[in-house]
Amino acid sequence: MPRAMFALLRTFSWQDLRHHPWRSLAAMAAVMLGVALAFAVHVINGSALDEFSQAVRAVNGQPDLELRAMQGSLDEALYERMATHPQVARASPVLELSAVAAPAGALGAQAARVPLRVLGADALLLPAVAPALMPRAWPQADRFALFSPATVFLNPSALQALGLSMATPDAAAPLPQIMLHTGQQRLPVRVAGTVGAGGAPLAVMDIGAAQDLFGRAGQLSRIDLQLQTGTDRQAFAQSLRALPGWPAQALLAEPGDAAQRISNLSRAYRVNLTVLALVALFTGAFLVFSVLALSVAQRGPQFALLAVLGATPRQRLALVLTESAVLGLVGSVAGIALGTGLAATALRLLGGDLGGGYFAGVQPALQWSAPAAAIYGALGIAAALAGGWWPARSAQTLPPAQTLKGLGSASARADRGTVGLALVAAGAVLSFAPPVAGIPLAAYGAIALLLVGGIALLPRGMAALLARLQPLAARHALPLLALERARRMRGSAAIAVGGVVASLSLAVALTVMVSSFRGSVAQWLDGVLPSPLYVRSALGGPGSEAALLPAGFAEAVAALPGIERVQPLRASPLQLDPSRPALMLISRPLGADPARQLPLVGTALPVPAGSIGIYISEAVVDLYGLQPGMQWDGLSRAFGTQAEAPRFFIAGVWRDYARQSGAVALDRADYLRLTGDARTSDLALWPREGADLAALQQAIRSLAATQGAGDTPLDFASASAIRERSLHIFDRSFAVTYWLQAVAIGIGLFGVAASFSAQVLARRKEFGLLAHLGLTRRQILGVVAAEGAAWTGVGALAGVLLGLAVSVVLVHVVNPQSFHWTMDLRVPGWRLAALCAAVVVSGTVTAWLAGRAAAGRDAVMAVKEDW
Amino acid sequence: MTAPLSVSSLGKHYGEATVFAGVDFTVQPGEFVAIVGDSGVGKSTLLNCLAGLDTWDTGRITHGSTDLGTLDDTARALWRRAQVGFVFQAFHVLPHLDVAQNVALPLMLLGQNEPARVLQMLTAVGLEGLGARLPQQLSGGQLQRVAIARALVHRPALLLADEPTGNLDPTTAARVMDLLLAQTRGHGASLVLVTHSDAAAARADRVLRLTSGGIGAG
Repeated sequence: MPRAMFALLRTFSWQDLRHHPWRSLAAMAAVMLGVALAFAVHVINGSALDEFSQAVRAVNGQPDLELRAMQGSLDEALYERMATHPQVARASPVLELSAVAAPAGALGAQAARVPLRVLGADALLLPAVAPALMPRAWPQADRFALFSPATVFLNPSALQALGLSMATPDAAAPLPQIMLHTGQQRLPVRVAGTVGAGGAPLAVMDIGAAQDLFGRAGQLSRIDLQLQTGTDRQAFAQSLRALPGWPAQALLAEPGDAAQRISNLSRAYRVNLTVLALVALFTGAFLVFSVLALSVAQRGPQFALLAVLGATPRQRLALVLTESAVLGLVGSVAGIALGTGLAATALRLLGGDLGGGYFAGVQPALQWSAPAAAIYGALGIAAALAGGWWPARSAQTLPPAQTLKGLGSASARADRGTVGLALVAAGAVLSFAPPVAGIPLAAYGAIALLLVGGIALLPRGMAALLARLQPLAARHALPLLALERARRMRGSAAIAVGGVVASLSLAVALTVMVSSFRGSVAQWLDGVLPSPLYVRSALGGPGSEAALLPAGFAEAVAALPGIERVQPLRASPLQLDPSRPALMLISRPLGADPARQLPLVGTALPVPAGSIGIYISEAVVDLYGLQPGMQWDGLSRAFGTQAEAPRFFIAGVWRDYARQSGAVALDRADYLRLTGDARTSDLALWPREGADLAALQQAIRSLAATQGAGDTPLDFASASAIRERSLHIFDRSFAVTYWLQAVAIGIGLFGVAASFSAQVLARRKEFGLLAHLGLTRRQILGVVAAEGAAWTGVGALAGVLLGLAVSVVLVHVVNPQSFHWTMDLRVPGWRLAALCAAVVVSGTVTAWLAGRAAAGRDAVMAVKEDW
Repeated sequence: MTAPLSVSSLGKHYGEATVFAGVDFTVQPGEFVAIVGDSGVGKSTLLNCLAGLDTWDTGRITHGSTDLGTLDDTARALWRRAQVGFVFQAFHVLPHLDVAQNVALPLMLLGQNEPARVLQMLTAVGLEGLGARLPQQLSGGQLQRVAIARALVHRPALLLADEPTGNLDPTTAARVMDLLLAQTRGHGASLVLVTHSDAAAARADRVLRLTSGGIGAG
């Protein structure tokens, strides 16, 4: 930095900072907040993803390829073919199950239950294929514990969750027992040692023992393959598919796919959160703009004096830009520190999940990255520089002589708004662009262009409005004073109004988006919850083996005297593409009119004879490139052999807010015919009118015990309770947007306060003159308050219009591109009106307070100062 | 002006320091009084007191039957609006109003809409045809003419001028003084002029010298 610039910063700029420390601190705080939020979101998501990927790698090991079934399980005979294949160096069979565990003797309705992933594997192959899964037997276990029946080895989180000691137990102590519960089975097992794999609770046992224990003889979940050195994976995969009798539903996956799947699935959510956090940085940039624009306006004569003394226009530009860079630098450094603290606190208190549910249960360690800190810090400085650019240009181009006379700032230069129009038009065009790598980058760009373009159009819009108002005010002193000042100095007015527009448009856009989403979810819940009561097993989530109710249970419940009707539903995972998360296959009675059973988007097509009608969610349309009227061969492969495969006809598309990775619905009768599996996940119940619900629930529990479900805990929930709980979860997930709105509005109002205060202070001489001309203090305050009301009113109107435009992009572009579901635009008129009223009232009060300070008795003395 | 402006035993202090004390004088309707004195002696403060813009500690200021000391801030503002015109050294023309709007301001404050009167005043001060210009397009002399037109447009009884030629070159200053006197006398207003200029003071009906001890013939 040249010595002259440093000297100016130390004297000229430092003096201004000393006189207005709160103003500069507010700008720095705004940058700090934006950087902190964005960096914290990055660190939390990065830490969670890293922890999750490590856990996946530990469990899956390091095979070259994985062989899985699209749905259901693989035949063990396939393992023999793989193990003896000349290009396969090592084949490791794995049986993977979900269960619920509890300490032995404690399983009951009130006992703590631990969802547990159980892996049956060949212990002799594990050291080479998946060393993190290699069992380490405790001293008191026998030599063959690794191969013993009903014997498991737990990872640290399973030990902790089950209340077992992490330390090696005393050799004399008996091995602890736990109870595994899956479906209708209760299975006691011994814990004989540990495995090192991290992540969620996990148990490893011998594969043969697992097949025996769970009654899955001859079945495998996957086969991990290590290929001979030099084998081409692609060519090998091709050769397998060409083998005679090769099962069509076998799926070959690359080892990184599992971690990649969760990364892909959560990416849009993570990017959305980061963009939301960057909203605070955008408003921070605007606050820097407001603060510096007003600081430059106030220091106009000083800059003019510098110019007279020989400071070049370039030096004046550089001085203001350096001031903004310093604000940005201090704000960014503080932001990185605050963001690190926020991330550490959030990881400790909330784990790694920020509301999307992708990393639930993950307890990651903080992964601090210096390059990421540098990038987010640079973003903060860039935001501050962007905010400082216009004021810097204004300092560069000010006319020194006119400014020294106090006449330099009044300019009626016509602003044709070309740049603003071009930016808005570019934003509109960009909103039609497709997503990039599954992320709506173009749509985010469109939103940024709309916001910046809309704000750039403000002076033009205000000029047009003022031109219309001018004849009305020409004969009245007070309106004329306010109007003409705004007309001639609309640059300053636009600064004040711009703060309102920037913050309010973001708040309006977020409000409309959340309201649209919430309204659509509520409507969707009404559609997918037709019955008044639902029952399911409390052992695990949808699609989980452990949570299945036994075959025949639905029919038995339907025969109960208090029940009018029962509708069974089965959800089972379906892995059609190794690079994508599994789909959910949902079977339920669809009847003759599926539109009454599913929230269809559009109308259902008639199903051709010989085909099975299926209904795909919007996510499947996006992710698999499918459309109604098409045959889906990929799904056919999952259910058939090469010789004989069912034909699936896509008869309609439905809206599904529960499964972002996609869902396929088909009639339960078709599902039973295809799989023969009559177990169910949920039952929708229609009790008879006047039935005693408590007695009915007890009867169903008793029925479950006699039907072989043992003491399976059942969850009963009314449609209204599910609806309420779902909307509560929705509100909790979107709570962050309310905070961001509050931050944006707060920053915007601070900008308004800073603008009005500085403008009103700069007008002390004008108020002094008006006092000389006979204006009372009350009248002067009236003018200032009316100006405040008028400008925040104009800002609120422009903010709402701009916010609505942005919300259209959020609702119709960003959401479908990010999450693959559509929603209906809902504008919460009263809430927006209340938001606007709050902003206008705050702006008016702010202006009035600023006016009180400036229009005091000493304003009379201001006329003695030179203009 | 139909009533005299009377100042009796006026005194003003800032804490222990006396600005002025025992100031007595009367300005008759249509009279031109110049007040001279050293810098810092309180000439501008006295002028603000005469306008009811500043407070005093002792004495009275009356305008006809109106005792300024008994009026609250609002009543003083209303009296000033109707009865007083001001001309300043630094012009104080509002930069965002055009010339005609600046001149019309006092009329508008009084709720009067008289574009012909504004035009007449602009012509009287030699600014005909410049009503639509913005202040930054005018010279110093022209700006002071705008200020004079504004001060007299609503036909005030009393014109208070604080160094109105202080920012002007001698030739322009003389022209502005000519204009100020002609217009003030043409309107029958009284003029109280605070000045350091001997030339300006020499044209007054009466010259008063303000000192910290009081006021007397200059």
